[in-house]
Amino acid sequence: MLLPARTAVLNYLYGVESADIAQIMGALKSQYGTERQFTKDRYMDHVMSLEANGLVNLESYDLDEKGELRMRYSINEDGKATVDKYVDKKYRNHK
Amino acid sequence: MTEARKKFKRIGITTGLISGITYGLYTTFVLIAGYYKPLAGAVGLFAAPYVTSGLNDFFAGLWLTAYNIKTGRIREIGRSLKLFPGKIIVLGSLIGGPIASGAYLMGLAMAGAYAIPISAMYILFGAIFARIFLKQKIVLRVGTGMVICVIGAIVINWVRPEGSTNFTLGIICAFVAAIGWALEGVLAAYGSAMLDSDIVINIRQLLSGVVDLFVILPLAGGMGLLKGTMLSMPPVAWLIVSGLCAAISYLCWYKSNSTVGCAMGMSLNITYAFWGVLFCILFIKQPVTPTIIIGSIIIMIGAVLVSVDPFELLNKKEEVTNEI
Repeated sequence: MLLPARTAVLNYLYGVESADIAQIMGALKSQYGTERQFTKDRYMDHVMSLEANGLVNLESYDLDEKGELRMRYSINEDGKATVDKYVDKKYRNHK
Repeated sequence: MTEARKKFKRIGITTGLISGITYGLYTTFVLIAGYYKPLAGAVGLFAAPYVTSGLNDFFAGLWLTAYNIKTGRIREIGRSLKLFPGKIIVLGSLIGGPIASGAYLMGLAMAGAYAIPISAMYILFGAIFARIFLKQKIVLRVGTGMVICVIGAIVINWVRPEGSTNFTLGIICAFVAAIGWALEGVLAAYGSAMLDSDIVINIRQLLSGVVDLFVILPLAGGMGLLKGTMLSMPPVAWLIVSGLCAAISYLCWYKSNSTVGCAMGMSLNITYAFWGVLFCILFIKQPVTPTIIIGSIIIMIGAVLVSVDPFELLNKKEEVTNEI
């Protein structure tokens, strides 16, 4: 069974230094891409809620080539501790 | 970025207010449902409140399930339950649903609208539990807010409404609701950090409804009343609407918490104490007495003070204005 989508976002961020929404969605597309919940708005909601819960930090933001806001997020120590504690090792994509 | 942040904040405040208004409506509709036979005049303390509470939560759960199917997230329920935080959510749901929401409706049935502001004191108990379990300090502002809440509760109970036989028991039930919701809040905060809140609420409402209807009601001897209610159209129709209001309220509350922060989200949600009393006065002829009006206002001020620093709010407002 897959991880819940929001948990999967946090789990993915553990394995990279930082990522924007498009990169997160690109990485999770093979697993969640066919589901109707796989939208940019929903993933924006995931990272912002993870940020509100103190598990990830907003690293930087700028405008992409279409003039849309692009935000980069990175996992923090609390986020890493949460993944270590609750996500089974078979799901981990980090060392 | 300023525009995006302002929009984000506006959404948070609007959803927070909607959560308060819809919770007030849910409370009023549930009371209206209770005025129809067979719920009206049902014997026993537990049966009628648990039929209304169970059906309301069950319908709210069905509305949320439909919403999550529509947005392609139904599989998230199983995925979330498999994780340990999901299991903590289940524990929180059992305390917040069958125990606290059941007690809230028993309180409403016995003490009328007087139970509403008392239940809003869950914020006070939340701060106490956060002190005990999460070792958070209670600052002077929070302590002051707590004292104000207690004064409000005393004012509400000063004059017992005429013709009420179980008024004090109803108020005690409202206190049980406040304590239960506070415990649920602590568990939900712990469990939902890495889960989709729309899914968490779905689990909460559906589980609460199922446990109320199929575990507690048979024990309380209320299955006959449940059957009678299901066969009677008006109360079920009101409970379908109240379930929708409860579903919207929870969705908006969590949305608000994750956009403007828990403190502000909570203080906007707590306005349900005001809306609930107002709607009861407007729609179900709740008698307007000085103690209910003054007590409700005092508790609301206290509850807001517990959850948010008014000076910080003003500063934040200035911050946003400066950025424009």
